[in-house]
Amino acid sequence: MATPYFSKRNLQFLLHEVFRAEELTQYEYFSAHDRETFNLALDSATSIADTLMHPYLKEIDKNQPELRNGQVTVHPKVRDYLKAMGDAGLIGAGFSFEHGGQQLPELISSSIGFILMAANNGMMYTGLTSGAAHLITSFGSPELQAAYVPNMLAGTWQGTMALTEPQAGSSLSDVSTTAYPQPDGSYKIKGQKVFISAGDHDATDNIIHLMLARIEGAPRGTKGISLFVVPKYRLDGTDNDVTSTGIYHKMGQHGVPAMHLTMGERDDCIGYLVGEPHHGLPYMFQMMNEARIGVGMTAAAIATAAYHAALQYARERPQSRRLNEKSQLDSPQTPIINHPDVRRMLLFQKAVTEGSLSLLLEAARLYDISQVAEGDEKENAFLLLDLLMPMAKSYPSEMGVQSVSQSVQTFGGYGYTEDFPVEQLYRDIRITPIYEGTTGIQAQDLLGRKMTMKGGKAPQLLFAEISKTIAEAGTFDDLKPYADQLTAELKRTQDVMMALMPHAQQGNIERYLSDATLFLDLMGIVVVAWQWLKQAVVAKQALLTQNPQGDELAFYEGKIHTMKFFFHYEVPKTLGLAVRLKDTEVLTIVSEKELAL
Amino acid sequence: MKILVCVTSVPDTTTKITFTDNNTKFNKAGVQFITGPYDDYALARAVELKEKLGGTVTVLNVGEADTEPVIRKCLAIGADDAIRVNADPTDAFFVAEQIAAIAKENKYDLILMGRESIDYNGGQVHGIVGELLGMPSISPVMQLDIDGDTARIVREIEGGKESLEAKLPLVLGCQEPIAEWKIPNMRGIMTARTKPLKVVEPTSKDTLTNVSGYELPAPRGNVKMIPADQVETLIQLLRTEAKVI
Repeated sequence: MATPYFSKRNLQFLLHEVFRAEELTQYEYFSAHDRETFNLALDSATSIADTLMHPYLKEIDKNQPELRNGQVTVHPKVRDYLKAMGDAGLIGAGFSFEHGGQQLPELISSSIGFILMAANNGMMYTGLTSGAAHLITSFGSPELQAAYVPNMLAGTWQGTMALTEPQAGSSLSDVSTTAYPQPDGSYKIKGQKVFISAGDHDATDNIIHLMLARIEGAPRGTKGISLFVVPKYRLDGTDNDVTSTGIYHKMGQHGVPAMHLTMGERDDCIGYLVGEPHHGLPYMFQMMNEARIGVGMTAAAIATAAYHAALQYARERPQSRRLNEKSQLDSPQTPIINHPDVRRMLLFQKAVTEGSLSLLLEAARLYDISQVAEGDEKENAFLLLDLLMPMAKSYPSEMGVQSVSQSVQTFGGYGYTEDFPVEQLYRDIRITPIYEGTTGIQAQDLLGRKMTMKGGKAPQLLFAEISKTIAEAGTFDDLKPYADQLTAELKRTQDVMMALMPHAQQGNIERYLSDATLFLDLMGIVVVAWQWLKQAVVAKQALLTQNPQGDELAFYEGKIHTMKFFFHYEVPKTLGLAVRLKDTEVLTIVSEKELAL
Repeated sequence: MKILVCVTSVPDTTTKITFTDNNTKFNKAGVQFITGPYDDYALARAVELKEKLGGTVTVLNVGEADTEPVIRKCLAIGADDAIRVNADPTDAFFVAEQIAAIAKENKYDLILMGRESIDYNGGQVHGIVGELLGMPSISPVMQLDIDGDTARIVREIEGGKESLEAKLPLVLGCQEPIAEWKIPNMRGIMTARTKPLKVVEPTSKDTLTNVSGYELPAPRGNVKMIPADQVETLIQLLRTEAKVI
């Protein structure tokens, strides 16, 4: 039997029992859907993942894209996958009916992304296309939409996000690619872009770059950056002078080429402005929540696939005897899952992966409400989402790396070999704390902006939501200790903020943000603890009302057990983080001489 | 061309099978149900034939209300309408009787189904339906083309293939590679919500069989490695432990 790469049961539990996906259909925008359309869409994605993606996980890793004579060749199965996704209508499933989509909530669309990425994250093409097409439908003219979006959603044209330049990575305000206005309203583009995922390949007939560039004479900094559509081939089929000048051979995610592109070598690269001039960065940032949910999902998916591989191995691999039976050498060896330390590793992986997925689905649900609700409900959902995003992007990716490391560890020496998928997944997941804003950037965003925006309203909303879960959990005797523990964690978080705020009030932003990543770590643990308590409440209610048997009983009991693991093993880590965050000794803001690195 | 495709709702192949009521009932709790994989091939070919020749595809399932997600999926794949006979599919004869009753009412040119379900793997229903309707029944069909009122068929036989021609109407049990499984697209999924699904009661509730009990096969034993130069030991173990020679 093939190694399972995700748990359908867990995804169904989260979507339908914890987040009650069907409630979204009460909003007019989603009213064409019901539970069945959601499940059928997930089934279609699973079929594609099972047949066109998962079987090629290793093969795609071993056959990296190559740039030869200016042409990039990728694995032939990528074309089949893109065609299947286009035919199934899954690239644009979340788009409006008006734009050729099916108005599927992000809660479901991101779950589809989770399934696909768990199957084979090396085929990370369609998320890029839908993100790029979404920029065009959100801000582009009707002409641009008509010219580019249908082929992108059909999977015959690839979309990319062309942001990064050699000198402008995290610092996008330093973008220097230049757009020169032409009499016909188009622009000539000149410059270079690096690390452009799927920036060139032969699995689609065209590549459509959504590119940041500075219109000639535009102001310096973030306010002078505009967004352009820059196709590889123009609509009449002629070459648009976008040259693949290099390909990066990466640590992981070998299936997707990361390209170095040069525009305008022959002074003949045409771009088309999307929306208003100088609004490029705000446009990009409006799409950032979706993109960051996507990266978090990819991390959660990779770690989930590794966890399931490790779990299967631990059940099958006999090694040694139980610690209390060490001397019984005539008795058969026991499967390694019976060793407490292996169980600890597996519980850690389950706690991280299922906690991460829950947090991401919470974010996706808030995204949906922020798009379709009205008034306070809309604003509150948006604020909460904005606050949660740094955690929802960083916790799954940072902790996902640790989780996959424990998957490798579960395999022992075999985990370090190509005989099992975890060594590949360990390489693959390492990019996720870097994509779409590094962990450091997320941390600065959280502490520097999100915690204090609108007078601190967002954290107030978050604490109120967490308190609702605490109140529900408090009604069950066996969950109450954990509810109390989470209450104490909220207090700890507030204490840390009280200790940090004076630095910001005194204008010492460097000091205020010096350990922002540790604050992000702390908040990540708190919100994932919230998610576990939320899951435990639902599991407890199911145990009391549904009289589950067999696997179902084990599933719900397993949820409560893993919640306990998270609270006993992971939550205490906040203590050390809080000690450091309140510490007055500053070791990173010193002279280079004192630093002595 | 009027095509009837009979589909089963069966446990996903990865399901852990357990029983309840003193091992007389299959425990459905927490089980993921899917369309019978062979039925999926039949449906895929039916949809292809409809696209090529015109006509309609009706999906028929004998099952209780919990099978409707499987039926909706068939509608999303391309069937035009569906009928559910509201009954527990207790045995092959009972199911075949229900199919035959629907077929007599509606006069189909082709009745397709999987060569067997993957829960009980009886492989009998198509034969009984053919008998009840007085139509030829052919299985397992690997290739099917229609030319006017003639079906050109390739079926698998012991050690090879057999090419046949037969006049419509026919009952066929299908298997791969008659068509590639179809993945429902979003448009199909959305339109499936409004396609007709008629629920009818069974012709009778009487069945000819009763389940006395279920039993799981013994778990597979561990592999025993016998050195290549110890053939006698191997033979002895095959006699005394495996008891296969």
